[in-house]
Amino acid sequence: MPLSPIRFIACSRTVLAAVLWLAGAGPGAAADRTLTIATWGGAYEHSQKKAYFEPFTARTGIRIRTARYNGGLAELRRQRRSGDVSWDVIDMTKADNRAACKQGLLEPIDHSLLLPGIDGTPADRDFVDGALTECGVSHIVYATVIAYNRNAFPGVRPSRIQDLFDIRRFPGKRALQKIPDANLEWALRSYGVPRQEIYQLLSTERGLRLAFRKLDAIRDHTIWWTAVEQPVELLVSGKAVIASQYNGRLFDAAAVKGHPIEIVWDAQVSELSALAIPKGTPRLRDALRFIRFATGTRPLADQAKYIAYGPARRSSMKLVSRHAGTGVDMRPHLPTDPSNFRTAILKDTEWYASLYDRIAERFRVWLAGH
Amino acid sequence: MCRAAATALQIASIAVLGIVAGALASLAAIGFVELVALLNDWLLVSPRSRFMAGDPNWLIVATICVPAAGGLIVGVLHRYMPDRRPHGPPDIIRAAHLHDGRMPARAGFLSALTSLVSLGSGASVGQYGPLAHLGATLGSLAARFNRNSRWMGTAGVGCGAAAAIATAFNAPIAGIVFAHEVILRHYSLRAFAPITVAATIGYVVANIVFERPPLFRVEAVSVKAAPEFLGFVLIGAGGAFVAVLYMRAILYAGRAARALPLADWSKPMLAGAALGVAAIWLPDILGIGKETLRFAVIDDAFAPEELAALLIAKIAATALCIGFGFAGGVFSPALLIGILFGALAGAGAETLLGDLRSDIAIYAICGMVAVTSAVIGAPLTAILIVFELTRNYDLATAAMVSVVFSNLISYRIFGRSLFDVQLRAGGFDLAAGRDRAILDLRPIDGYLSRDYTALTPETPPAEAKSRLVEDRRHEGYVVDADGRYLGTVKLDELVAWEDGENAASGATVAQLAKPEALIFTAGMSIWAAMEGMGDFVGESIPVLEDRDNGRMLGVVFEASIVKAWLDTMDDTRREENAGA
Repeated sequence: MPLSPIRFIACSRTVLAAVLWLAGAGPGAAADRTLTIATWGGAYEHSQKKAYFEPFTARTGIRIRTARYNGGLAELRRQRRSGDVSWDVIDMTKADNRAACKQGLLEPIDHSLLLPGIDGTPADRDFVDGALTECGVSHIVYATVIAYNRNAFPGVRPSRIQDLFDIRRFPGKRALQKIPDANLEWALRSYGVPRQEIYQLLSTERGLRLAFRKLDAIRDHTIWWTAVEQPVELLVSGKAVIASQYNGRLFDAAAVKGHPIEIVWDAQVSELSALAIPKGTPRLRDALRFIRFATGTRPLADQAKYIAYGPARRSSMKLVSRHAGTGVDMRPHLPTDPSNFRTAILKDTEWYASLYDRIAERFRVWLAGH
Repeated sequence: MCRAAATALQIASIAVLGIVAGALASLAAIGFVELVALLNDWLLVSPRSRFMAGDPNWLIVATICVPAAGGLIVGVLHRYMPDRRPHGPPDIIRAAHLHDGRMPARAGFLSALTSLVSLGSGASVGQYGPLAHLGATLGSLAARFNRNSRWMGTAGVGCGAAAAIATAFNAPIAGIVFAHEVILRHYSLRAFAPITVAATIGYVVANIVFERPPLFRVEAVSVKAAPEFLGFVLIGAGGAFVAVLYMRAILYAGRAARALPLADWSKPMLAGAALGVAAIWLPDILGIGKETLRFAVIDDAFAPEELAALLIAKIAATALCIGFGFAGGVFSPALLIGILFGALAGAGAETLLGDLRSDIAIYAICGMVAVTSAVIGAPLTAILIVFELTRNYDLATAAMVSVVFSNLISYRIFGRSLFDVQLRAGGFDLAAGRDRAILDLRPIDGYLSRDYTALTPETPPAEAKSRLVEDRRHEGYVVDADGRYLGTVKLDELVAWEDGENAASGATVAQLAKPEALIFTAGMSIWAAMEGMGDFVGESIPVLEDRDNGRMLGVVFEASIVKAWLDTMDDTRREENAGA
């Protein structure tokens, strides 16, 4: 059937619109287009450069510039107030993302724009639970875990979170971060509290008492760390036998540097990191386009070649391969590997947002010694 | 062809009833539970909100004032109830057996409202009774759209209750069994079909649409030592005594409240204030106690003496709240009381068995089901709730043992359930069997006949005789101008009188009539009539409006009573054996 003139025009308009949308503002504009992405620097930024930025520029011609971000909402707030919004995309923790969204600092994101998984699973079912929020698309999962020095336990090794509190069977110093985060979760979990109920019970006087009672058991055997480099140093030097730490750094210490450090994945406290768009950016369309691209199955899977953080998409997890530097198979080192993730405690950012001050105060009092 | 169409229509109406009643009841249940949680958070009842509350003095004020204010609202609202009390599961049972499943909408919704206020303000009452009642009310309403068959109402009530329980516990099979075991008391395919549809809808709504979390989670636990089963038997026996103590306390508090010379509307307020004062030291007794329930399955969360104190306080608090007129169920407090008892038993077992003892959760849950199943008279439902909540075979098997022994004992020393004992107090005794209970409450009025020979007091005996001969009857009833029954004259007596020497005097039947030995009054039950007729020989029995005014309404024939009995038996049998 030949197209009538009117139909043809209508049809070609649709096609043209689609082409224009994909190409941004139109032909020729790509040359001078640059997106500024605020992110965390170091090995982490390197992994994003390899997995997200370079392929994105290759495909669209849009260049990526990064800005250093260290968490918090201060800079975001400053830009919003001054009207000079220079960040187009920001990579932030889910907790910060939630807070920024509530304060109107971020653009809402329509999740129907996201790509389906490479296996055809719709985005809303492909992402891990809690990954899609009003103003954010979580892309990676990182975890706080405990790890031990293999040399300290020639016989039976720690394997469950209960072992952190078992001084009799696993004697030696513990190195724990000097904040309530993860410590309270682990304490309550070690009683056998189901992981889905931990935050609910930590919100009660009795639950908190119970958690501190468990921590009492190891307080005389604990070194409290504050700088992120400490735990690995303490483990390697033998000053501590078990320590808490982010899983990415532990992978680096064990697989890349070859230290005798072993992760206990039981009761990992996992958190999400999300991509978001500061409100007021003039490059909203390109920013959305970047997020749509970067959170696709392939880029998320590729990132795990460079860093031991888990992709927030189920379809990406299936594509994870070897570490680019050492050739180590990355899958068993990711928080989202099914056997590691089975007993994960998902950090409840809402709980932290509403109760943190009170909990932190109680923790401080407990540290000071009742 | 026509028959096929009728069958199709029948099946369609069963399915539609199940879907509509199930969806309404399930959504209502979720809404109710959410609202209670919201109120608990706002009103500083929930442990989390109490933890967050800044000023401890303000917390004490709120702890006393909130339940008291809730009690005041509930007390005032109950003045608008038809019988000035909240409705609950016993009313569902009555409606299903005696009123073809018709439940009054106004009483249903008002009860739901007062239960919401009671639970929201922290009264120590349960939420599942109100949920089942609200569900049954909605199911009854849904069934009204199909007035063609009487059984639709009963099925609708069952559907609503089943969907509410299936939603509340994420336990569809328990919902189905609850409707049969507690409400209908029989299993027929015709009721089973829509109830199953409704319970499934409830489960789908709760689990797939809203993704509701389960009541509590239990780690994968298993029974370690065979002798522990003896322990579960003992928990069952102990649970029975705890349950009986709990139920007796509720009934006693009710009597005490009635004896109190105070206005009825003020009594819940009084109970609320007393509860609040106690809660300053024992906040765990407030409300449903969801968190306490979860702590009880954790080793070391409570010291044994703390468990015992809470156990007693919770029984007292619940008896006080329910007895003094708060609206709400008895199931949720029984869950908590039972789980505390089980945890206490577990602590005892630890001193005996040491490390050989299984996880405390098994003991706690055995105690929980032992107490609850005895309270609501539903052993199968209780076992299934455990099985569906935990999906743990070991746990369900252990629970089964406790449930059986608990029910055996509490049946002997108390009765099948609190509901049945409450119903018996209202004259509806299911313990003697469903048919007997129905006969007990079905009045003879429907079998009344006006087909009798009435004689005025002035009638001469000769005339009376010829009237009776003409009517082919043996008995005549002497009734005065006001319709009062004076006595009965019998044909053989009239004949004997005529043959005697007094025949010539100007006597009347009034002088000859003798009141019948057996007289019925309006509203008398078929069962009572049958019992009275044991030694009766005669044609018919006069029925009076009541014995004081003596007005005669008509007679019942012996054959009618037999027919009434047959009708009732036929109805119940037909209902119990109905196919689709």
